[in-house]
Parts: sequence; structure tokens; C-alpha cells
Amino acid sequence: MDVNTMIDELIMALRKQIARTKEIQQMPAELLLKRQAAGQWNTLEVFEHMNLSSGVYARGLAKVLAGKADRHPANAEFKPGIIGDFSTRSMLPEADGRIAWRMKTLRMFDPPKQHGASSDSLTRFIALCEEFIRLLESARTTDLNRLKVVSSLGPIIRFKAGDAFRFPIAHQQRHFLQIERLLQGAS
Amino acid sequence: MDLVRRTIERYVNLTDADWTRIGPCWREYAFSKGTQVCAVGQVEQRFYIVQQGVQRLSFPHDGQDVCVGFSYDGSWCGEYASFISRKPARFEVLAMTDTVLLGIGYDDLQRLYKELPAMERFGRLIVEELLQGRATREIEMMSLSAEERYDRLHARSPHLLQLVPQKDIASYLRMTPETFSRLRKRRS
Repeated sequence: MDVNTMIDELIMALRKQIARTKEIQQMPAELLLKRQAAGQWNTLEVFEHMNLSSGVYARGLAKVLAGKADRHPANAEFKPGIIGDFSTRSMLPEADGRIAWRMKTLRMFDPPKQHGASSDSLTRFIALCEEFIRLLESARTTDLNRLKVVSSLGPIIRFKAGDAFRFPIAHQQRHFLQIERLLQGAS
Repeated sequence: MDLVRRTIERYVNLTDADWTRIGPCWREYAFSKGTQVCAVGQVEQRFYIVQQGVQRLSFPHDGQDVCVGFSYDGSWCGEYASFISRKPARFEVLAMTDTVLLGIGYDDLQRLYKELPAMERFGRLIVEELLQGRATREIEMMSLSAEERYDRLHARSPHLLQLVPQKDIASYLRMTPETFSRLRKRRS
């Protein structure tokens, strides 16, 4: 795929997510705390989950882009890696909007088992998306095929830098569907 | 925000003109169950009124959390000493249930104290109230038996026994969970 098109699309998706988060910040606190069932996440916890998991990629990308980006000349083509592409695609909803295969959350990304979640989680999510946008802009001048970033699946699996952008943003997209359901109070 | 006005008006009367300056300084903050409202070592940014939920005030000691108080609907919440001194908090404030707090920042509150005599008086009255509470608790802790401490709490805040884990109440009453459990069985 063409790198600049990919980067433009990812930035557009992030801008939408930021705009929606700013709207959600204005909603009543009780709504953001609402759970569909005891033991299930509320909206704050979904945001904190995104902070925890996407944070892995933002930190990894910041490190390689600051450290090694200069070693590789810009490459206008990005060819997704096998695992990175599969992981990203598996985040997309089915044609009818249903969420495809659910997965069990790793403990380290489960807010109630970590430090919880609060209104601050939304503020920090916006900052994280803005950081991704900055990183994407700086990524135009390097080769996203050659740089590698440790994935949130564990230190053994490393994504190509391009996938380290695509996956967390698709993962966030998926969780925004969950957030909209929570805010509507539908099942 | 109604709760803020009602709470302040328990102490002083406010005109509508006062309120148009006070109201916008307060904001809603949500915390999921198990989240720190204030962590030890961080400077408390806000003074809160509880709209919903139960919070615990405690400090770490010998690898355990020593519980010194609870806050719930309508009461104050936050690490007040840190908020006032602008120094790192020595206590942790933890949301025991999903929590909604109405909070005001330090600069806003100080400005209101300066600009509105009613708010200055409100500030003095709540500190006097907090001080009386501390004095009472100090006497209770030093002079009453475990059994008497349990009875005082039961008489003053019976709902707390339903809302908070027993080990936290036991810690608050400076007794072992075993003693607490024994007293509770005898009283029920």
C-alpha cells in the first residue's frame, strides 16, 4: 500500500477518535460509569484499556523513530507483515457491524486489575492520539518496512513499524464500537 | 452542581450573584471502582464533594494500608493537607465503588475565598468542622475499648458497615479483622 495514503487515513481516523472523545468528555459522569453487567467494563475502563495497550506501540514507535529512522531512506510502499496484517484485520468488525472473534484481555491491559480508570483516562487518551499523529507525520521520511517494534502480544512478536501504527488504531476503532454501545445502553 | 450549592448553603447563605461565580469553578470527575483519586507522593489538585460512591483515606505502613477514614454521598473527599500545603500527599484516596466527585482546583478556591466573604466564612467553618471530627476521633482511639469503638461507629455511621469491606473498617477502628468479626457477630 502507498505509505502517504496509509498515513493520511490513519491520521484521519485518529482525528475522528479525538473529536468523539472530546464529546464524550462532556457527558455526565454517571453515564461514563455505567456497566452493562457487573464485572464488565464501563466507558472509562475501555479508554484506559486503550491507553494501556496502545501505549506499548506509541512508546516503541517513538523509540525507533527517534533512534533508527535516519538509517533507512523513505519508502513509498508499505507491505504489511503476516502477523501484523492478520492482527489488524481481525480488529475490523464484520460486514453487519458485529464484532468478530472476541479475545480475552491480558491482565496487564485490564484496567480493573491494574490501576483503574477515571475522567483522566479520556484526557490521556486524547494526548496519546495526538502523539500517534506526531509520530505518523515524522514517519513519512523513513521506511516503515524496515523498522520493527515490539508488539503488545509479547516481546517475541515484533511488528513492522507500519503495522505498529495500523494495529493499535484499528484496535481503538473496535473499542469505539463498544463505547457507542455502552453510551446508548443497548445490549 | 446543585449538590455543591446545597452543600455550601449548609454553612453560609449564597446570593444568586455569588453562585454565578462559584458554580463554574466546579467540575464532575468520575472514578471507576479501585481507582486512586489521589496517590501517595502526588500533590492533591482538587477539593471534592462526593456525589456518588464510597472512598477510603489510608496511608501505607509496614506493608499494609492503615485506614483513617471514609467519605460518601455529600461528604468531603480528597487529601486535604496536600491540597492546602501543595506538598506531596501522605495519604492515598481510593474509590471503593464507582465514584462521582465534584471538584474545585486550588487556585479557583483561593480566588473565591479572596473575592467572596461568604466563601471565606465557608472555608473557615468546614475546617472547624474537620478539626472537631479529628479531636473526637483522637479521643475515641486513645481512650475507648475496641468494643466501645465498634459501638460508636455503628451508632454514627451504620450504613458504612454495608458499604465497605470489613478489613478496612477493622483497620479504621484499629482492631484486627478477627476482633471486628467477633464484635459484629455479638451485636447482630
